[in-house]
Amino acid sequence: MQLRKYESFFIVDPDLPEDAYQGVAQKFRGVVETGGGTVLAYAPWGKKKLAYPVKKKSYGYYVLMEFASGPDLIAELERTMRIDERVLKFITVKLDDEFDPEKEKERARPAPPPLAEDDEEAPPRFAATREDEEADEEEEEDEDEE
Amino acid sequence: MVVKRKRRRRVFRRRRVCRFCADSSLRIDYKDAKMLRYFLTERGKIIPRRISDNCAKHQRELTLAIKRARQMALLPYTVDHSI
Repeated sequence: MQLRKYESFFIVDPDLPEDAYQGVAQKFRGVVETGGGTVLAYAPWGKKKLAYPVKKKSYGYYVLMEFASGPDLIAELERTMRIDERVLKFITVKLDDEFDPEKEKERARPAPPPLAEDDEEAPPRFAATREDEEADEEEEEDEDEE
Repeated sequence: MVVKRKRRRRVFRRRRVCRFCADSSLRIDYKDAKMLRYFLTERGKIIPRRISDNCAKHQRELTLAIKRARQMALLPYTVDHSI
């Protein structure tokens, strides 16, 4: 069977007791492995504030799981996630069309959390809403240069 | 009627370079909410290419990343409408 490389990024209920997260980890690792896949990395990112409430919760416990598997496993994995009450949201993205174990060795483990607690509003770089004016200014200049 | 357009208006033209082309170490990743937030207005809308100066290719990747980040509640679809 042809293996592809995927990553699943999902949000787990933040109100679970600390030790429950291991259960979640085990469950999804198990799903991947029984489906003939390999888990390459399982990185909990920790609790983070959500941009909008999901299932009445304003925080979420993010987890990123990288794995290699066949395409059929995705349906099964997503089905279990949908059923599992502890999972608030998930997304699965294909990273590579074929999984090459050789490539995997040389690559250092992905550095986990780029998302730290400080998630203050970055100052917007562009003035918002009414910035259309400059666009039409530029049209006219090119023609009569000489 | 002929309209003479003789102007010496030296419009200052910004150098337009896509920041992702200029710096190949910048990756577009839907999980990197901090970086993506740069390309949103404060209302949460995606900043158009004409203003952000991205090239078409990277703008496309960027919108996809932003939409994925929104799905995962990393970025807002819209900012709360509190009256």
